[in-house]
Amino acid sequence: MNFKGSILLVDDETHIRKYVSLILKQLGATNIIEASNGEEALAVFQSKKPDIVLLDISMPLLNGLETLKKLKEMDPECTVIMLTSMVNRQSIDEALALGAANYIRKDTPKEEIATAIKETIELRFP
Amino acid sequence: MEPPTQSPDSEYSGRRVLVVDDDRLNIRILSGILKSEGYVFAEASSGERALEIYPSFRPNLVLLDVMMAGINGYEACRELKRLYGDDCAPIVFITAKNEADDVVEGLAAGGADYLAKPFQKKEVVARIRTHLRGQMLAEQQKLLVAQLSKANAAKNRFLGMAAHDLRNPLASIRGLAEFLRDGVVGDLTPDQLDLINTIHTASQSMLRMVNELLDVATIESGELKVVPSDHNLCELIEKSVYLANIDAAKKNTHISFTPPVAPPSAWIDAAKIQQVVDNLLNNAVKYSPPGSRIIAEYNWDAQHRSFGVKDQGPGIPENERDKLFKDFGRLSVQPTGGEKSTGLGLAICRKIVEAHQGTIVAENLPVGGCEFRVTLPVHS
Repeated sequence: MNFKGSILLVDDETHIRKYVSLILKQLGATNIIEASNGEEALAVFQSKKPDIVLLDISMPLLNGLETLKKLKEMDPECTVIMLTSMVNRQSIDEALALGAANYIRKDTPKEEIATAIKETIELRFP
Repeated sequence: MEPPTQSPDSEYSGRRVLVVDDDRLNIRILSGILKSEGYVFAEASSGERALEIYPSFRPNLVLLDVMMAGINGYEACRELKRLYGDDCAPIVFITAKNEADDVVEGLAAGGADYLAKPFQKKEVVARIRTHLRGQMLAEQQKLLVAQLSKANAAKNRFLGMAAHDLRNPLASIRGLAEFLRDGVVGDLTPDQLDLINTIHTASQSMLRMVNELLDVATIESGELKVVPSDHNLCELIEKSVYLANIDAAKKNTHISFTPPVAPPSAWIDAAKIQQVVDNLLNNAVKYSPPGSRIIAEYNWDAQHRSFGVKDQGPGIPENERDKLFKDFGRLSVQPTGGEKSTGLGLAICRKIVEAHQGTIVAENLPVGGCEFRVTLPVHS
């Protein structure tokens, strides 16, 4: 994959950010910005205008769904992939209804995480 | 606890007894006996009055005359049972004649016992004590059950929370170990690689165990929700077989699956059934000696879809068969490659399959090894 856009990675857990950014780098991404909570994500989104947001659902302060709602208010076209830690059908459905492009379970094998990100990017940025 | 200092006579003193009789003399005799035992007592001169007094007096025992003006004793008894159900105090009938028919009808109406007139003091005292003891034990038991189920729910919540919070860090450890192993951040010496592989395998099996604990917590708290829809079960099996073969190859074992021509779809919750399929395939690999051949199958008829796995393992010891699908039901049979097990996998499978109204069975094969088969009904 040859994606040269910027990716905003939002998760309150450092190890997850480290892990997922390695997956992104292996996919060829070079411009990765990290944020550790929803508030920070909104600020970064406004200043850096990333092409894609990877957004954790359960975070303190502003959770993923609330953050998603505000991101969509700022830019209804923005591409957001939700990161979840379990199959919580209700929050996933809610996120998809709010306009999330896809969702990924963090405990699936890294190849599957990579495939899901790749597929979404190829769909949104052909 | 202090040993009881009361005399045995007053063991139940303070317990409440409601006496219902339209004969003043009977009430007087019974109240004399009851007071000498230290019981608190209330009287009612009719069945209607008894129903009125019952909710405020909340007796531990009711002595109820059969023949009364207005509603008779049997009717009053049935009404009390209807109103208070299992919480109703035991009811002892007072009958003038010790006749089998009366006794039978009284017991059929929900009575616990009967006292025949004329009263024998010793008998009255003994029977009342027996029923009060039973009532007290039932009350304690009910309290205990309530406390236990509360504690069990708390345990499930805790288990769920702990397992859930362990999952993300474990997923990171496993994934980061893979990056190291694959040389993404530089080459490793064989010794370093060996250590990284150990970290990877350990975190992988921990993740599996944590997921199983989480599943059990979900199932036990009654939150297992199966949302079935039309799915290509055959394709799902094919994908699972492909993935399971990656692990199987490490033991030089192979799972073969020949997809049948034009397989019909199944009415399943795909994520949940995939878990069952994965579990059965992984078990087959886990318990078969290295170099085995495992066969997966997909069959159907008009009413059913079925998935089977035949392995070449040691089979199921007949005397341990009943443990197979129970929580923590680990058998004496050991994994052949040092794999770990919580003993929860098959219990989870059974619960998922049953939530689909299906069945899961295991049979030892005459040629050795065993077959696990899941059968699911089609959507009607």
